[in-house]
Amino acid sequence: MYTPLRIEPTKALLDIAAFQRKLAAGIGHLRNMREPEYANTPRELVYSEDKLKVWHFTGHDKTPSKTPLLIVYALVNTVWMTDLQPDRSMVRNLLAQGEDVYLIDWGYPDFADRWLTLDDYINGYLDRCVDVVRRRHGLEAINLLGICQGGAFSLCYTALHPDKVANLITMVTPVDFHTPGNMLSHWCRNMDVDLFVDAMGNVPAGLMNYVYLTLKPVRLNQQKYIGMVDILDSPAELEDFLRMERWIFDSPDQAGEAFRQFIKDFYQGNKLVKGTLTIGGRLVDLGRVTQPVLNIFAEQDHLVPPDASRALGEHVGTDDYTQLAFKGGHIGIYVSGRAQREVPPAIHQWLRARA
Amino acid sequence: MANPANDFIKDYQALAQQSWEAWTRQLQQQQPGGASPFFTPQAAPIGGNDTLERTLAGLKGYFDWMQGVAAAGGQEPAGDWRQQLQQCFGGASQPFAQAFGGIDSAGAEGFIRQWQSWLQGAQHGSFGELPGVNGAMPAFGLNREQQMQQQAMAAAVLESLQATARYQALIQRANAQGMERLQDKLALHAEPGRQIDSLKALYDLWVDAAEEAYAEIALSDEFREVYGEMVNSQMRVRQRQQEQAEQICRQLGVPTRAEVSSLGERLQSLRRELRAGQAPAPQDLAGELATLRQELAELRQRLAVGKEPAAAAAKRTAARPAAAKPAARAAASPAGKPAAKAVAKAARKPAARKAAAPSPSRGKPLSRASSRKRK
Repeated sequence: MYTPLRIEPTKALLDIAAFQRKLAAGIGHLRNMREPEYANTPRELVYSEDKLKVWHFTGHDKTPSKTPLLIVYALVNTVWMTDLQPDRSMVRNLLAQGEDVYLIDWGYPDFADRWLTLDDYINGYLDRCVDVVRRRHGLEAINLLGICQGGAFSLCYTALHPDKVANLITMVTPVDFHTPGNMLSHWCRNMDVDLFVDAMGNVPAGLMNYVYLTLKPVRLNQQKYIGMVDILDSPAELEDFLRMERWIFDSPDQAGEAFRQFIKDFYQGNKLVKGTLTIGGRLVDLGRVTQPVLNIFAEQDHLVPPDASRALGEHVGTDDYTQLAFKGGHIGIYVSGRAQREVPPAIHQWLRARA
Repeated sequence: MANPANDFIKDYQALAQQSWEAWTRQLQQQQPGGASPFFTPQAAPIGGNDTLERTLAGLKGYFDWMQGVAAAGGQEPAGDWRQQLQQCFGGASQPFAQAFGGIDSAGAEGFIRQWQSWLQGAQHGSFGELPGVNGAMPAFGLNREQQMQQQAMAAAVLESLQATARYQALIQRANAQGMERLQDKLALHAEPGRQIDSLKALYDLWVDAAEEAYAEIALSDEFREVYGEMVNSQMRVRQRQQEQAEQICRQLGVPTRAEVSSLGERLQSLRRELRAGQAPAPQDLAGELATLRQELAELRQRLAVGKEPAAAAAKRTAARPAAAKPAARAAASPAGKPAAKAVAKAARKPAARKAAAPSPSRGKPLSRASSRKRK
């Protein structure tokens, strides 16, 4: 019988020395590293209201499709995950496929936005953004692409304003919030959200990030940075790493009232699938989503478990429902090499078949 | 008698520690305002932001752990591997605890730090000096309300510390169970060629084990209850703090958060009322009217085509106005709705056509896609 540990003390010391050497050698690269830029695909501002902005991407390689696609991102983190860097940009790849892409940047709420409700976001901001794009193209209905919480918003919006949405795409979108393994949902089930929002006002981004890090505390708070030591001598890889760090931690606070409603109605009450959700006094009936729906989820998603997304197929009223399982995680679905190859072409192909 | 091998390891550890500290100092000096001659103001340095702090915290934990393992290996080169493992992951070099300790930030300031700063601000030396911390007492006189508030605050802090301690106990349990899992995983490596021979490999295996154990506990009902209570109790403390801060502000004539919040609520409510009261722009109405007229014309046309015999019959009885009345009433009654619905459904036909179009799930890129067609 052998011992499974065969770490020679001398070898261990050499490992430590190697680790330190890599760190020392990496100092120069870190010192000269500027704040990494996002891809910044050419775009024009077409609408702004309070802190939100609607951007239209202009870098078309082909004649864009007739029906534009509006990206609706979550309120947590920023929409620039979709346009992170030139070789990892869902937006660029959609443009290359021939889609006409708009997106909503919700901005950074402050205390002036403390009382914004889900009604304000969905029947207010989102509806006006959709109207802007519709008017620009003289169309009755446009295509929506909702991401994560933005996907849940898009579902609600489509159920409440079905005549304005031609096709709906949801990506890593939680629908059933009570599936097993949903850690975030599990943790907030016993939270007194009224007390929480009354005490906090808006929810600080730092607190949100803290919670996300504690989903996988060792991997996200330590192992990741130990891995970084191995790429300190590669400026390009280091830049990618730091760009991702920027995106993860440069995140907005959450408007208190919208947060209260989202946690109570979605995470705790699971009202979206129970059919009891009301927004602005109107019932959100997913059965009214009769447009074609493409539901894309990530098989290794630790924030939105695949089952939470898969549930959509059982609740929407459409007879044209397609789902696509992506082999990757919640972030990888936007930035991995596989995602660049698979996701935008799949979206384009699906839309083209329904044009 | 001194062991030369152990002495060497200790010397090396001391040297490595010094080297680490020097490296850390050098990196931290890059922050804006630092006196480092290497700082180049034109480049926005990454030093001085959260990334650096997180990176250093994580790396320091790993570095300490590596040193601990090297020392453990040096002292008991031929000892029982399970005992050796306990030394690698026990004591002060627990990487799990360090992983948690390093994720505090200003936005998610550790609770204990929060109330400690409050204690300093409130000029109480320590928690034990808070009035009422050892149980509520009746309060009297001019400062009765303040005393009651202090007592409520002390009770809330105490309750929160207890809840946090329960949470920490669960984290410790996750750590211990992670160790057990690591032993199970290591047992699978007790063959030549599969043995763990590097610190990094041992660390990675431990991370897998620790995360698995943590996830299991974090998804338990007990964790859910403890987590909820920890958050709730912290929020109760925060509310008490705010009450006291607001009282001071009111005395000083400074606007309070509650007042600003109240104004914000009223403002948002007014904005909603304003938007609700705004009539649609005339051009929108004109467009909508044109669409409605067109739909009405189409409806009439369809009704006329579908009810030709009835129309002819109506023509034949046109001389009898009294008899025509019910028909007219019927056309105008809600009974007309199904017809309208049918037309609306027909107008949606493009959707049906779309459904018949080739599905991307049949295309190559969507090989793992599944598609559903109802009806």
